[in-house]
Amino acid sequence: MVGSNSNIKLRLSIRYLIAIVLLVIMVFPYLYMVLNSLADWSQVDRKLIPTKFTLRSYQWLFTGGETGITRPWIHAFFNSVFVSLISTALMMMFAIMVAYALSKLKFRGRDSINNFVLFHMFFPAIILIIPNFLIIQKVGLFDTYWALIIPKAMSLWGIFMYTNFFKAVPDAFIEAAKLDGASDFKILYKIMMPMSKSITTVVFLFLLMERWTELLWDMIVVRSDGMLTLNVLLSQMFGPYQSYPGPMYAGAVMLTLPIIILFIIFGKKFQEGMQFNLK
Amino acid sequence: MEKNNNRLGWLFASPYLIFSTVFFLGPLIWSLYLSFTNWDLISPTYDFVGFKNFTKALGTPGVRSAFWVTYKFMIVFVPIVTAMSLFVAVIVKGLPKLKSVFLIGFFLPYLSSGVVASLIVKGFLSHTSPVQTFLRERLGLDIDWLGGSFSALFVVAMIMAWKFTGYYALILTSGLESIDQEVYEAAAIDGVKDSQRFWKITLPLLYPAIYTTLILSFGATFGIFTEVYQLTGGGPNYATNTWQMEIYSQAFKNLQAGYASAIAIMAAVATFISIFVIRKILEMWGKRNGWV
Repeated sequence: MVGSNSNIKLRLSIRYLIAIVLLVIMVFPYLYMVLNSLADWSQVDRKLIPTKFTLRSYQWLFTGGETGITRPWIHAFFNSVFVSLISTALMMMFAIMVAYALSKLKFRGRDSINNFVLFHMFFPAIILIIPNFLIIQKVGLFDTYWALIIPKAMSLWGIFMYTNFFKAVPDAFIEAAKLDGASDFKILYKIMMPMSKSITTVVFLFLLMERWTELLWDMIVVRSDGMLTLNVLLSQMFGPYQSYPGPMYAGAVMLTLPIIILFIIFGKKFQEGMQFNLK
Repeated sequence: MEKNNNRLGWLFASPYLIFSTVFFLGPLIWSLYLSFTNWDLISPTYDFVGFKNFTKALGTPGVRSAFWVTYKFMIVFVPIVTAMSLFVAVIVKGLPKLKSVFLIGFFLPYLSSGVVASLIVKGFLSHTSPVQTFLRERLGLDIDWLGGSFSALFVVAMIMAWKFTGYYALILTSGLESIDQEVYEAAAIDGVKDSQRFWKITLPLLYPAIYTTLILSFGATFGIFTEVYQLTGGGPNYATNTWQMEIYSQAFKNLQAGYASAIAIMAAVATFISIFVIRKILEMWGKRNGWV
């Protein structure tokens, strides 16, 4: 490279500066949300950076404030955690099982199933929402946890990711384990899973995040207050509670923070996994 | 051995086979059937009406707008998100330290729920908000962001861009990093000017990654629902009425299940054909320039 040492340093500092400014702009909406959830109500949505703070918005969520209507925020939060964790666990489990069959077990019809998964994955899913809703209603699962979990227990994208990953694992490993008398369940659990740690983090976080923020499906299959997930509850409060922006921001923080914390905990692993997947 | 494996294979694949039968193939046929009926989602009886739903749908402003709004979103959203993520990727790529911190930071918006993003934007653009007050009092601009056809579309597209930039930047960064530095040095010797570096070297070698982000971002425009539902309800005057929004309104608000099924099928066909054409165009563009 031509140019003196100080020139390079200057260029680098400019890059860092731009990166920091960009990052602040990108993360600003979150900052705005957190600050507003903590701001004195006279300043919510009136000041870019509030100066007076209070916990009233959070208190309001739990007590219902002067409207006297206690909205089940905590319950909805619990519902979200429960439904998302179970759904995601099932999606992971089935994805790993199916992917193992589609990549490592030789059986008649495997190629057809593989092609069908691809077709299914790229099929525009909007056609399915009305009949799927009707199925849930017909079998009497409307307004139950099952309605939130069962139709969201399979992820084609998850199957696709794991199939591709497992294909890259040499067959020799599996044959060696088989000679030692290991069953396929054991191979899956003891060999394939430990090898796919990085991709597991990525798939898990993506699936959990998607399930956690799902709106349309959750909105149509449950009705009663006790069944709502936090995202749906927040969406329902959106219009009528416009005069209470503070508590709305507090609800938004409740919805956003857990997933971000989880993500930051797994951040390093996630990035490694992403790099791997993108190559 | 062979037989045993056969059984095990089907056993392991069975969760998917059952699921796709119940929640994909069955519903697909049911949906096709419903689209030819006038069912209202509640009454026990309904009639077979042939192609009436389809012909009716073609003539309504809701469906027409849904068709065009998707492409309008593309025109606004795809260039913005591509430019932003490219810029982020180029800036972050050369950083010796804290690169992953930056990348993860940029990725955070992707984790936001559309409801939360809409809530923040609505507050941010409300009449008394600091931004609006500033625009009004200092610059004399009184903009009703969600009330104008283009501005409402623009606001939703910007939320989407905010959300996806970090994700696509991650893809583009790893694309950039797979480019060998020696290529640049060799090009410098061959007399490629600094100003041509991006167009002559980076872009061609980055094409596979750009192709991925473009396909993803085009695809994303077909699934817009939450932000629109939350912020505009498809308005003003259908300016942000996406396919999903139209299907939701017809099926679950107006309770026209048969009619909505017909719209869903039209949406799926439009999506399928559009994505196919876009892919072909992108591939041709790459081939023509010798990038693939």
